[in-house]
Amino acid sequence: MKPTPARSGQAVLRAEALGSALPPLLVAAERVASTVAQGVHGRRRVGQGDSFWQFRPYQAGDAPGRIDWRQSAKSPRTYVRETEWEAAQTVHLWRDGSASMHWRSGAAMPEKVERAELLLLAAASLLLRGGERVRLLGQRTGGSMTAIAAALATDGPGSGVPPVSALPAHSRLVLIGDFLQPLDDIRHVIAQMAAIPVRGHLLQILDPAEALLPYSGRVRFRGVEADGDMLVPQVEGIRDAYAEALAAQQAGLAALCRAAGWGFATHRTDAPPASALLSLYTALAGIV
Amino acid sequence: MIFAAPWVLVALAVLPALWWLLRVTPPAPRVQDFPAIRLLIGLRPREETAARTPLWLLLMRVLAAGLLIVGLAGPVLDAAGALVGTGPLVLVVDDGWAAAPDWAARIAAADAALDRAERAGRSAALLTTARSGQDAAPTLSPVMPIADLRPRLAALHPLPWPPDHAAAAQALRGVSGTVVYIADGVAAAGDEAFHTALAAIGSVTEIAPAAPTAPMLLQPRAEADRLVARVAMLPEPVATDLAVLAQSGDGRTLARATAHAAQGATEAEMPIVLPPELRNRLTRLVLEGPASAGATLLLDEGFRRRPVGLVTAEAGADTPLVGSLYYLERALAPFTELRRADLHTLLQREIAVIVLADRPLAPSEIPELQKWVQNGGLLLRFAGPRSADTTDDLGQPANPDPLMPERLLAEDRQLGGALSWSQPAKLSAFPANSPFVGLTVPAEVTVNRQVLAEPSAQLADHTWARLQDGTPLVTEASRGAGRIVLFHVTANADWSNLPLSGLFPDMLRRLVALSAGVSAAPDAAPLSPAETLDGFGVLGPPPPAAAGLPAADFAKTAVSPQHPPGLYGPQAGRRALNLSSAMGKLDAAAPVPNAARQDLAGGVHERAIGAWLVAAGLALLAFDLLIALRLRGLLRPAAAAAMLLLVAALPAHAQLPSPPWRAALETRLAYVVSDDPAIDDISRAGLLGLATYVNARTAAHLADPAGVRPGTDDLSFYPLLYWPITPGQVPSGAAITAMNAFMRDGGIILIDSRGDQAALRTAAAGLAIPPLTPLTTEHVLSRAFYLLSQYPGRTDGDTVWVQRQGDRSNDDVSPVVIGSHDWAAAWAIDSAGRNTVAIDGSPRQRTLAYRFGVNLVIYALTGNYKGDQVHVPHILERLGQ
Repeated sequence: MKPTPARSGQAVLRAEALGSALPPLLVAAERVASTVAQGVHGRRRVGQGDSFWQFRPYQAGDAPGRIDWRQSAKSPRTYVRETEWEAAQTVHLWRDGSASMHWRSGAAMPEKVERAELLLLAAASLLLRGGERVRLLGQRTGGSMTAIAAALATDGPGSGVPPVSALPAHSRLVLIGDFLQPLDDIRHVIAQMAAIPVRGHLLQILDPAEALLPYSGRVRFRGVEADGDMLVPQVEGIRDAYAEALAAQQAGLAALCRAAGWGFATHRTDAPPASALLSLYTALAGIV
Repeated sequence: MIFAAPWVLVALAVLPALWWLLRVTPPAPRVQDFPAIRLLIGLRPREETAARTPLWLLLMRVLAAGLLIVGLAGPVLDAAGALVGTGPLVLVVDDGWAAAPDWAARIAAADAALDRAERAGRSAALLTTARSGQDAAPTLSPVMPIADLRPRLAALHPLPWPPDHAAAAQALRGVSGTVVYIADGVAAAGDEAFHTALAAIGSVTEIAPAAPTAPMLLQPRAEADRLVARVAMLPEPVATDLAVLAQSGDGRTLARATAHAAQGATEAEMPIVLPPELRNRLTRLVLEGPASAGATLLLDEGFRRRPVGLVTAEAGADTPLVGSLYYLERALAPFTELRRADLHTLLQREIAVIVLADRPLAPSEIPELQKWVQNGGLLLRFAGPRSADTTDDLGQPANPDPLMPERLLAEDRQLGGALSWSQPAKLSAFPANSPFVGLTVPAEVTVNRQVLAEPSAQLADHTWARLQDGTPLVTEASRGAGRIVLFHVTANADWSNLPLSGLFPDMLRRLVALSAGVSAAPDAAPLSPAETLDGFGVLGPPPPAAAGLPAADFAKTAVSPQHPPGLYGPQAGRRALNLSSAMGKLDAAAPVPNAARQDLAGGVHERAIGAWLVAAGLALLAFDLLIALRLRGLLRPAAAAAMLLLVAALPAHAQLPSPPWRAALETRLAYVVSDDPAIDDISRAGLLGLATYVNARTAAHLADPAGVRPGTDDLSFYPLLYWPITPGQVPSGAAITAMNAFMRDGGIILIDSRGDQAALRTAAAGLAIPPLTPLTTEHVLSRAFYLLSQYPGRTDGDTVWVQRQGDRSNDDVSPVVIGSHDWAAAWAIDSAGRNTVAIDGSPRQRTLAYRFGVNLVIYALTGNYKGDQVHVPHILERLGQ
């Protein structure tokens, strides 16, 4: 599908509608990344912000506009009002745009990438309403919903694993994808990210057909990313084995995340997106 | 069963190989894209199933292949075997009148013979034995391939005259080959020479009906109260019931008479009992069953016109209530053509009945009148004082009147009266031999005075009515072809009150019906053929060779191409020449010597089933394709079901030209679809042109016209139906019903006879057309939009007819407009808007044609809304004063 402004605009609207059911998301942060952006996380020191921090006597060089005239009138000295430095937490978002995500098992299903982008935008919307800063992973610019949606629409397919890019320390990361790649590739990425340090959350999106392998009879399975094909004489015969393989993959992912202190969740495209968004919300807000 | 191409069956040997190939080749897997392929790779299924084609699929495929092979080999069921003999096939077909009843079977038999010749790779020649419509003698066609001969065979149709076997024998001279002769079974002149000629060609197969009957209607016999239809036929193989239909000129059946023909019967009689009024409307008798020229008998004026002559007697015969002719005239006038003149003048013209009411005959008149009676006249006499007087002027017994049924006694008899004890006598019931039988005798009819016949042994047999004491009241005597009937009372109320009773006209009616009919044009001028029968007994234009025939020769002329059976002469005095006019008894034809006989009906029809087998094989293969698609996952069950439904629904859908409701979305004109595409094109283009004109000039908006078939399509969506009459068009009963309902419910039909009045009469026979009146400027239709005084189409000058005003049932809107101006042709435009048909007149005429069309459309849409327009002059007059 061609990315068009209309389509990205529509995606924004859908995501806003999805996120409107939840309160603005304030990311639980142990240490807010040392970015300069103004935000909601008070830094217990004077700086840019809305909250009152302290009065101090006027010194030469202070901007006259910062003089607090009510306080100054109480005494012969002139006071300047200082506010607490409030900084925003930066959340980096990423969704897998590879060919394997552009797949669905039936016309009634959404493609996995559609669901991933919806969830990503909904999370971005919630974060923005909470005053946090949001960026797509690997992009320096952006921050508004429209910018993110446009960036998603023009984003290339990419590979199945998130790019390792220079992230600010203590920022947060949300990775959405199908994560069917070999565990070693994923482990490599998570290890590098966690070392920055960055805390992250992994959301695996699967089509129900990938979860259940509902085919029967003699089927030639063909990979969507030029990863070969396989003739299965009797699909029913390998269904259980496939379920085991998938469970092992998911268990491996969960173990990787746990080791890095990250969150991990799965979502099927036949389930309502609101449930996935809620789990993402709780994971980011640190409620649980 | 035989095979047309048996070598194809060799391919059946391939089937086992096919079986093996299909068995070892597993079905193609379905291909499925799957992102999680990496998880699958390396998985081992717990069990390995045989990747083999299922057995039922295997069987189906082999069956399909087998069906194709067998079907291509051309199997023929019920094949009649190979053709005997050598050389080309000489197909001889009797196509005279006797072949018409089972003509289809004859053509089928001929086709079967050609089939066999074609299989044997032989060529054929065709000979039909009846003379052609051009009066050409039968000729043998050149020997040609079977495929070329088939169109000739299909073009054959039976002819309404007997075959000419003598000429056919000539045509067969010097030919050799194998003969298949399809005989009609009726003996004809020249049969022997013909059979010899057939046998000389080679081996002969004679195909004929096992027991041909060839029924032929003979001239009916007119009796007093009935017409007796007579049928001659070859001996009936089994007892059958025959029925004859008596039809009037408009094709309606007025009576149906039946008869039982015993086994072996060669004649049957069917009495048709009809009142004279209806009987006079009969134009043909048709034998129920297969149509043929023999089973159709045309009736001409001779069966209907019976002029009655009243001989004027002395002065005072017309005096009301007492005159001798007063009651006669009133009784006869309603149902006969009555002439009054003296005897000599009456005998100058053809006349059926002459009435003498107590008028003695002068000796000079007697020979003339005797001759007339001998030739078939009916002389009706009434007694009276002067007839009772059998003495001459000198008181001596006079010579007995030869034109009395019997000698009369000198004295008459008086019953009742002032000086008598006896009572006036009453009538007894009519005897069985009387034409009056069945009439009820009113009790109040009494006879006071009568003449008496001289008693004789035969008197009782010749008495048609008698008094209760047995005295004859009406007696008769045959004289040659004619008859004399005497009422022993006067024709007025002097002697009896019989002329005052209702019985009197009934008796006269029976008597007149008994008389021989009279045809016009008794002179020797040849009558030209007007309409003639074809082999199936349908009237049509005469064949090219038909020539005129003098009226006097009708009874002795055998039908032939020159004199085909049919109606001759001017419209006013048609004479009918029938097949049976000069044909004697029917004889069964002798079989051809040494010929193999074959029953026409018994011959099994061979059926080539190859095409069906191939179709079944292909259907199986198509089904197999669906299954293969299903196995490969390219076809989901829902899609397959939809596809099957689509295939099943396609033919049904194809029968519906368009959803009927679509016609209701817009107002549109409609035309009746005829059999002739050219007429339909004109109708369509005409209504399109009219709709364009109407749309440009009025507030009405009409969509493209629709062609409808009444009875099939729903007519209720259309305000106006244009019906161009084509020759030979006979709408079905359903169509008539639909059009009648259309007119009753407020639709308007514009019937355009396009100048063919005869076709109009045939086509519109069943329509419930109200009383009509010419369309004048007083009619709303002349003022609905434009003020019109003429209503031309392509032609002009004929009267246009509409319903007579005053019928309030439909708001006085005429349900039908009938004319002959070929309007559609004047209206017709092509896609570029140009008129396509030239008109017989000035360009102004086309404008007027369009204006008439506009008025018609507005009239159809608004009804009598513009009715006030008619009264505008009067309204203005009132307002002005």
